Amino acid sequence: MTTKFPRNQAAIAGIGATEFSKDSGVSVFSLAARAVKAAVADAGLEPKDIDGLATFGPNDSVAPNLLAPALGIKSLSWYVDQFLGGSVSMSILGQAALAVSAGVAECVVCYRALNGRSGARMNGSGAFVQRPPWDMQFKASTGYIVPAQEIAMAARAHMLRYGTTSEDLGRLAILCRNNAIDNERAMMRKPLTMEDYLDSRWIVEPFRLFDCCLETDGAVAVAVVSADRAKDLPHRPVMVRGAAWGGGVNLINNGHTDLADSPATLIADRLYGAAGVGPSDIDFAELYDCFTYTLLSQIEGYSLCDAGEVPARLVEGSFSRDGGSLPINTAGGLLSEGYLHGMNHVFEAVEQIRGSAGPRQIDRHDTALVTGQLGYVSGYSSALILEGAR
Amino acid sequence: MAPVLPIPDRDSEPYWAALAAGRLELQKCLDCGHWTWPPRPICSFCQSDHLSWREVAGTGEVHSWVTTHNVYSAAFAQLVPYVTLLVRLDEQADILIPGQFRSVVEPYQGLKVRARTEPLTDQIGELSWEVDG
Repeated sequence: MTTKFPRNQAAIAGIGATEFSKDSGVSVFSLAARAVKAAVADAGLEPKDIDGLATFGPNDSVAPNLLAPALGIKSLSWYVDQFLGGSVSMSILGQAALAVSAGVAECVVCYRALNGRSGARMNGSGAFVQRPPWDMQFKASTGYIVPAQEIAMAARAHMLRYGTTSEDLGRLAILCRNNAIDNERAMMRKPLTMEDYLDSRWIVEPFRLFDCCLETDGAVAVAVVSADRAKDLPHRPVMVRGAAWGGGVNLINNGHTDLADSPATLIADRLYGAAGVGPSDIDFAELYDCFTYTLLSQIEGYSLCDAGEVPARLVEGSFSRDGGSLPINTAGGLLSEGYLHGMNHVFEAVEQIRGSAGPRQIDRHDTALVTGQLGYVSGYSSALILEGAR
Repeated sequence: MAPVLPIPDRDSEPYWAALAAGRLELQKCLDCGHWTWPPRPICSFCQSDHLSWREVAGTGEVHSWVTTHNVYSAAFAQLVPYVTLLVRLDEQADILIPGQFRSVVEPYQGLKVRARTEPLTDQIGELSWEVDG
């Protein structure tokens, strides 16, 4: 499949992050400002150089029209303020790459800031604004309210088709935890055993506590400029080689009949077509792990191994940071580093590609798959292929 | 604690009203015969505008299920742990409708279930599922 994506024409030149915590003690606005300033400084630029801003969130981030004046941006050339959560997280990067390669904007900062634990929580408490009623009307009234339930429903279907077990999901939780232990940004750095995992309380069967990611306060920002401009900036440019978003369905219908099928298959061919690479070209992957099962489903759906084979490959250590053929979630992911709605996966991918991941650095680190949440909840999926400039 | 009422829209009002009257009704396309759920203004298969609300048998098979232990809404605090089914409707394979499971048996994939309705208001009914037969 060929896709007319402006391959390698835009690059991530800077990254910034705040501390990840359970209570930031500051406003979401403040978190966003800190991360954006850090990202442009990392790129060797200044806030006044920003002419595009992109963010996403279910009414819990800070809009570009609030942030731009605070950053001293005289006239914003371009913006995206995308409603919804992790499913659209990589789409704002893809859109920034389109804008920069088209020349509509010269320096776009993509950011996500949230007080996800101390403020607006995903369970609907705090100041969280309810999602629009269109699909929620068919779910919330029956007590089917949150993504944990919807993804657990898919996990169950996978267990029934392939014999996937709790221990298989536990191995994914442990893998992420192991990768967080030496990550100073990570919120969960204590080793996790299979016994700890199996003893943890049920949240939504078949999910236990450690199948679920962390509610987090924090912000991450990344600065996107043209590939030409990135060459003159301090760090190794991280090219947006390809991106794809869309694809999913919410509430299973329109010919989709089985939750065990990964919704990633709906965008995977387009993603690889956009990038002009295949799954075997991927050195490492940062996969959206709001729950353990979404990791498994994406490994299958992005064709990193055959459907049903993830458990055996986990036992073999294929996805381990230490010697695995395809390391995943090298900083601990949303499960153990923090829930920055996928943007921390971009941050880590850039660190790895630059070779600046410190104790976490992997050997083969040129080409990364970075993904957002799968469809079936919001109806969208999104993913990027990032590549270090040669 | 009062039940959580769905917020109907102009496309879904007849669906909720039918449930209030004790019937599970879906939109059937008068041109191609395709069933559409959730309620939409046009046929998802042929995009025709000619949809008609028709009662379905109300039977289906369990595709998947979850047991919720965590309290996500005060309205469901007394109910945990509760089982939510995703039911594949007998009329059409790609229609999978969630709802609480009212029978006290362990669900399994393929378990035959039947829709139960309960009025919440004059215009809004609740859909749940129980073992068929």
